[in-house]
Amino acid sequence: MAHLAFIGKRLWQLLPVLFGITLVVFFMIHLIPGDPAATLLGNRSTPQAVAALRQQFGLDEPLYRQYLTFLGRIAHGDLGSSFVYKSPVRGLVEGRISSTLWLLAAGALFSLLLSVPLAVLAASRKDAVRDQAVRIVPLIGLGMPAVWVGLMLQLFFALKLGLFPVSGFGSTVVEHAQSIVLPATTVAVALAPILVRSLRTSLLEVLDSDYVLTARAKGISRSRLLLHHALRNAAVSSVTVLGVNIAYLVGATVIVERVFALPGLGTLMLDSIYSRDFPVVQGVVIVIAVLVVLVNLATDLAHASLDPRVGVER
Amino acid sequence: MRRAIGTALALCLGLSACGGSSSTSKTTSGTATKGGDLVIVKALDAKSMDNTTTFDNDSIWIFEQMMEPLYTVTEDGKSVKPWLATSYTLSTDKLSWTFKLRPGVKFHNGKPMTSADVKFSLDKASGTKGGWEFINTAIKTVTAPDPATVVVTTKYPWAPLLADLSNFNNGIVPKDYGGMTAAQFYDHPVGTGPFKWDHWTKGSELKLVKNSDYWQTGKPSLDSVTWKPVPDDNTRTLQLQGGQAQLDEFPPFSSLNQFKSSSTTQATLFNSTKTDYLLMNHTTAPFNDVHARRAISLVIDRQALIKAVLFGNGKPANSFMPPQVPYYDATTPGLQYDLSAAKAELAKSSTPGGFTATYLAAAGDTQDASIAQVLQSAVKPLGITIKIENVDPATARTRQNKQDYQITHSSWTMDIADPDELVSFAVDPTTGAKSFYTGYSNKAVIAATHEAQKAFDPAVRQAKYTFIQKTAAEDAFMVFLYYSPYQWAYSKKVHGFLPYPTGNYHLEDVTLSK
Repeated sequence: MAHLAFIGKRLWQLLPVLFGITLVVFFMIHLIPGDPAATLLGNRSTPQAVAALRQQFGLDEPLYRQYLTFLGRIAHGDLGSSFVYKSPVRGLVEGRISSTLWLLAAGALFSLLLSVPLAVLAASRKDAVRDQAVRIVPLIGLGMPAVWVGLMLQLFFALKLGLFPVSGFGSTVVEHAQSIVLPATTVAVALAPILVRSLRTSLLEVLDSDYVLTARAKGISRSRLLLHHALRNAAVSSVTVLGVNIAYLVGATVIVERVFALPGLGTLMLDSIYSRDFPVVQGVVIVIAVLVVLVNLATDLAHASLDPRVGVER
Repeated sequence: MRRAIGTALALCLGLSACGGSSSTSKTTSGTATKGGDLVIVKALDAKSMDNTTTFDNDSIWIFEQMMEPLYTVTEDGKSVKPWLATSYTLSTDKLSWTFKLRPGVKFHNGKPMTSADVKFSLDKASGTKGGWEFINTAIKTVTAPDPATVVVTTKYPWAPLLADLSNFNNGIVPKDYGGMTAAQFYDHPVGTGPFKWDHWTKGSELKLVKNSDYWQTGKPSLDSVTWKPVPDDNTRTLQLQGGQAQLDEFPPFSSLNQFKSSSTTQATLFNSTKTDYLLMNHTTAPFNDVHARRAISLVIDRQALIKAVLFGNGKPANSFMPPQVPYYDATTPGLQYDLSAAKAELAKSSTPGGFTATYLAAAGDTQDASIAQVLQSAVKPLGITIKIENVDPATARTRQNKQDYQITHSSWTMDIADPDELVSFAVDPTTGAKSFYTGYSNKAVIAATHEAQKAFDPAVRQAKYTFIQKTAAEDAFMVFLYYSPYQWAYSKKVHGFLPYPTGNYHLEDVTLSK
């Protein structure tokens, strides 16, 4: 019940956040140079054609009126219509959100699958060779650009071994799952080093604590101690680190999307900024903002469930 | 970075790199079979299927497979041939064009194409605002005296009409959109073309399937065609190498040799109408001075530029019209590289000791960046300093259109097989484009442009366009840089693929082998 109230409160707090975001994104995108009509017409543009398109898009209205129209539409769940695609923004976003969510979920999962065993391995014997190796090797992943990692994964796993498609997202759930493995691995290679270091440090701190000493004195084995007693407590801070990074990734997956030709929100937003497709930029930013808030909410809930001392009534 | 990764990719694949090719050819080797799904990968997704208001080639070359015009451009891009119409007669006053429609043509919905559909389509194409209506400016009325006849009346004698009618905006759709609204119709358009609508998952793929009732008996061979947007050049390369795609649109010039040296792929340069220019703003100093403009044109070594930008895959431009356009004049010398002539020209200008100008560049455009750097270095012997101002592409486009620049880069590709579309836009400020945003205005050139539009005798038109090309070159209203080809990489299983100089391709002629 407390959880439900907490979720309700956080969702309610989303409203002022969204209002602020509409204000910032609307005026930022409208005030930067670059005219949507001139961009759309390319080098077939004439002042007459630009004026006709601007009128059609409602860009000849005063800015405040355009903003009020935009707000009015959002209140009715309407994100407007794309200048470029000439179709509703809602449909465009719905078509793109799936691959973004798959990428975020699989990226987070793969990061955990990579980082938890490595962190446990490192913390199991501080400063030993395995610890040094775990501290250094993942850093290479952090230093490699996603473009390069993606390309190498494509070359080896897709082209040489033929295990996964080179790129694309497929059209069935099975194809989605196959298509997302390499992009999610690319995300995980960048994310895991941060998690490994965070989890290792937390584990070492926990392993130095009194309750662990007591447990040791009771004769509990080292592996049981690590996995059953220390890991849960150590995971608390790492969940926050993971949450922050996933929230960041929501709007920053564009490089991975481009390398793997995933039809995600990042690419849609970038292309729309380039073409000054105002309604799409506004719509995508709002959806990304909602996703970020939801990821943070999930992080808080996970934090609370891992650590009973952290209440959700805050 | 991208180039470095491309090179690394070539090394990883164990492929060797060598010099570029300049040949153009059809893909005709191998044994073709019926059927198959052709997958085309390209950098950008389509934007809209509305053939009357859409400006990007990523959409145009797709919807042309569904919606066909009365006439169509020929393989060499220099003429038109009958398509949904079989013939025409022109009245003695040269104002009324009577077209006979091809019998037995059916829309994808099974209904026969009639003159009522043609009238509806042409009227709609002429009535857009902010679309391609400028192509139809000369059309006064369209009438349908009987189901197999259409009469197009022009406001004045208008030689480019057949070329205009062959443009995609005049593609034929069912009358009243077959009972749908325009928005509903263009969500899944219906035409008479060799392929019909299947689905479009935006950002992922657009698929068309075979029209079994196509009017060209026995065509198309392919069961379906799928276009997939794949933004990364290297990923497209890998898809072609891995067999996930059969055609790669516009791979980087630097990568062509790795396709050529592979046993499964090929790369070909096809003739195009793409011409690159430097635009100079005539409304302010220093480029309001013809001598300053001429000096810039004379100081650029186009061969060196082609080597740097296109890896040698291009030809120096001598005219603002490309060679694949009718009435192009190969004998127009233009103002080619001659350093001493450039110095002499600048000495005659109001800034004989040189000047400083700003080059407006589109950030992220590697070609633009290379051109700016070559220019910057080329003009140094003249005492000219070029500063490069990088802005994002949308801002660059907007500022070009508003003539808020000194010198910048632009390019052009033809849509129709008549020079009028380009010539009117480039040298006739009365069309509204301020002579390709330069502000160039030469009364004799403008008059010749209007006379060429009304002249039906090819010899007269040739004389007019030769005069226009020579005069515009002497005025150095732009710097004509180079003509570049369309580069395509493809699987050796693809046969009969031929992009025309206008960029479009007829997929009903393409076959896939096993």
